[in-house]
Amino acid sequence: MSSEESKTKPVTQTQTAPAKKEPELPKFEKDLSDKIVTKFGADTEISFVKPNRVRINVKKEKIIDVATFIRDELHFDHAESVTGVDFPNEKEIEVVYHLGSYTDPQLNKQILSLATRVPREDTPNPGKDSTKLQSLREIFYSVEFHERECFEMLGVYFEGHPDNRRLLLPEDWADIPPMRKDFRIKGR
Amino acid sequence: MSVKIPPGLQLEKVDERIMTLNIGPQHPGSGHMRLIVQVDGDYIVACDPDPGYVHRGEEKMAEYRNYILNIPHLERPVIHDSCNILYPYVLGVEELVGIEVPERAKYVRAIASELNRLSYTLYWLAIYGIFLGHSTMFMWPAGDRELAIDLLDKLTGARVTHSYFVPGGVRNDLPANFEDVCIRQLNYLEKRLKAYADIFYDNPILISRTKDTGVLSREDAIRLGTTGSVLRASGVDFDVRTKEPYDAYEELDVHTNVLKNGDSYDRSKIPWLDMLESCNIIKQALEKMPKSGSVRVKLKPNPKGGDDEVYKRVESGRGSLGVYIVSRSKPEPYRLKLSVGSFRNLICLPYLLKGEKLGNMPAVYWSLNYWPVEADR
Amino acid sequence: MSVIAPKFRLAYLLKGVLNDVFWIIVLLTLIGIPIIMIVLFYIELPVLEGELLTPFLAFTMLFHPELAMPLIDSFMNTDFFRMAVFPGFGFAVLIATGTIFAERKLLAKMQLRVGPFYCGKIEGILQLMGDGLKLISKEIIIPAKADKPIFWAAPVLFIGTAAAFVALIPVAPGWVVADVDVGLLAVFAVVGFFPIITILSAWSANSKFPFIGGIRALYQMVSFEIPLILSLLGVVILSGTLNLSEIVESQASFPWIIFLPVGAIVFFISMLAELERIPFDLPEAESEIVAGWLTEFSGMMYGLVQLGSYLKLYAFAGLFVVLFLGGWTGPLLIPSTPPEILSGIEVGPIAIDLPGSEKFVERTLNAELINGVIWFVLKTVGVIFFILIPRGVFPRVRIDLLLQIGWYKLIGLAFVNIFIALGVLYSGILEPGVIF
Repeated sequence: MSSEESKTKPVTQTQTAPAKKEPELPKFEKDLSDKIVTKFGADTEISFVKPNRVRINVKKEKIIDVATFIRDELHFDHAESVTGVDFPNEKEIEVVYHLGSYTDPQLNKQILSLATRVPREDTPNPGKDSTKLQSLREIFYSVEFHERECFEMLGVYFEGHPDNRRLLLPEDWADIPPMRKDFRIKGR
Repeated sequence: MSVKIPPGLQLEKVDERIMTLNIGPQHPGSGHMRLIVQVDGDYIVACDPDPGYVHRGEEKMAEYRNYILNIPHLERPVIHDSCNILYPYVLGVEELVGIEVPERAKYVRAIASELNRLSYTLYWLAIYGIFLGHSTMFMWPAGDRELAIDLLDKLTGARVTHSYFVPGGVRNDLPANFEDVCIRQLNYLEKRLKAYADIFYDNPILISRTKDTGVLSREDAIRLGTTGSVLRASGVDFDVRTKEPYDAYEELDVHTNVLKNGDSYDRSKIPWLDMLESCNIIKQALEKMPKSGSVRVKLKPNPKGGDDEVYKRVESGRGSLGVYIVSRSKPEPYRLKLSVGSFRNLICLPYLLKGEKLGNMPAVYWSLNYWPVEADR
Repeated sequence: MSVIAPKFRLAYLLKGVLNDVFWIIVLLTLIGIPIIMIVLFYIELPVLEGELLTPFLAFTMLFHPELAMPLIDSFMNTDFFRMAVFPGFGFAVLIATGTIFAERKLLAKMQLRVGPFYCGKIEGILQLMGDGLKLISKEIIIPAKADKPIFWAAPVLFIGTAAAFVALIPVAPGWVVADVDVGLLAVFAVVGFFPIITILSAWSANSKFPFIGGIRALYQMVSFEIPLILSLLGVVILSGTLNLSEIVESQASFPWIIFLPVGAIVFFISMLAELERIPFDLPEAESEIVAGWLTEFSGMMYGLVQLGSYLKLYAFAGLFVVLFLGGWTGPLLIPSTPPEILSGIEVGPIAIDLPGSEKFVERTLNAELINGVIWFVLKTVGVIFFILIPRGVFPRVRIDLLLQIGWYKLIGLAFVNIFIALGVLYSGILEPGVIF
């Protein structure tokens, strides 16, 4: 998806137009996204560029380099949240990091979504199967508890995280990671 | 002896010098979570927070309910700040479905949001008082909170868990005579809030107990990704209402309170200053709002978004609360993630408590504006 | 809950009345009379008209009412009365329960609420009775690995020591349970026993939170005993005696607080720390260590410990009044009854004559006693009021700040107080041993 399509996306869908956007705003976000794409080329792609929201899809091998670049060059300094989304049809789990900035006043409004995909197995064995990802804890310290939660809820093992342990689930949880789509709530 | 131990259970290592204390869920000083604290004499050596005692699987259950049914469901993490936890959700749904909210509704939303902030912060302050052993500071905010709850009761019909925000506006308009009652009660509440300075914030014992304890420097606050009053007490001027204004906050004048030291005293003072600010905001909103107009846009049945995702954030009582919705052309969201301020601030707890005295534990722990139920979702 | 009254029948009424009368007579005869006989055997009986009043003779009281007053007189002068009723245990328990109720009401008014309200018709007067009944009826749970003999003995020791403390406080001239010449030293000895009991009960509970609470209580009580004792040295220097009754008598013209205000303040703060009152209630700090050394106590054991705490409160307040505020001295409020009234009044058709009351009023219930008691109670209530107020105003102090206060600041102030006392003495304002 290129950035031109993103500007036409709101018009083709059946919705009333959101608040008027000035033509300069997406330019700032486009600027950000272009910097990343020019540096890392084929490993990244821009998912969308909206006012105040930019999303970059990254291949999972390159995530540490991209994250370091984002922290050092683009001055995003903390992660707001880490989300895992389960796509059983595509046999992948998507992990999305939302990054924000406190120090740079121009970036105060921006949230950069950094997304990677990891392969998903049908019978998960958390920690020991191929659903592994490099941990971003060395780069953004604030993801420590978020990554632990992602591990227990979806089974994504973060290599390099000092403490991949249960956080919210009870100690004797013996079922599959609950946020996966295979896990059905009883009675629904 | 061989006992079958469940895989996630941890065994306590018996040490000559270090004692492991379970400041557990059944403890007057812990809230709904467990802190496994290792103590060497009077000094805390390590602290391992163990949340999850109130984990209900909000996010999983949200995938089974459509956008309207999710409204009473998503309020439950913080029952007395429920408007603020619904606010980013309804903003997100409105963007996904494509609805424009009328002007008057935006101001009513701001009023409800600020009243919720008062209700939550007074409750938090009451518990902070009792954690430090100050029973008067427990009774006064708990009693004054009735004023804010009474206003919310008149406005929404419920004392807590209001279910007031809907995609398209708010559920109902302000009742008749609300403005006068509100201003009168807020004037009294402001007087009471200022009285807290005499009994609590200028109390020499409180100052000696909380000053220079649990100091979080500015760089650490940014690096740890904290939010809300913890961030503003460490000198970072960031409030979502001023930096990324939403709805009526684009026209309202919000003053952000920032203090520099980053110790427990500052962290306990910022919510109080924010409360005084909230009273101001409500009065402003009552003045500036359009005097007539609808407060709700009727939705088509079964609203659904396209193949899209949205991330919205709002300043709640604990900090910036973000909601990430992924939708795939269905009436239910495909994935809903709540990024709550309490969970983001949890990282400070093991970081700050290492090396503190055991007597400082309640002062530091509750000053992080941590609501255990919300962090567990 | 209203019960519909059954239909009235005369036979049932008579049956009920006779039933009551029967049981009253049986209980009085089988239980009451033997108890009275046993009690009468143990008290010192007066000599009336050259004849010793034997217990058997005392029962003729019904037909000879002039024997009643001397009997009450001699009963009030026995040791048993002094220990159990006044000024010992009964009086202290009365003031202690009054203190608990007053504390709850006072605290409630400061916190903008009502306090006990429903139990008892007027503003919840009977709340304490309800609480006492509740504590008696609860199960006493002992932790499995606790050291049982010591754990059971600890609350009993606590209340015993508190009662021993109460026994040393003089309430009125001549009315003190234990009149020892070294009364003040005995007070210190008893006060020094409390940390031992605390650490015994904390250690025997064999659990982490009572352990931490007990250690904190030990630190707190031991470190505040020193300023407590040092602050009293000024009073001893100026009055020249250790006997508490004589200290009160030496304040016949002016209370010692005028000369030793610093000592009074140091004593007051140390008193708050010894009593574990807020702001020094670390050993029971709820938010950190559940209930400290009281965690494992339940039911009546907890009730005994609470009662002991409040007895200690009364005793310390009484000690403060005795040492610094002048005990029972004060202007005459109720004059003594003139002898004409005592020997019989005849006002028109009314004739009152209580034989023996002349001697009774002269010996026991004289104006000195009544006035002394009234002034003592007023002053003690005032001091207790000042002890109760910090509970609504201050949060809890942390342990290291507490120890700094105890070891550095208060000891320094206590020494300043001693120098003031010596200065007052040697500059000639007062003479040493100003008693008689």
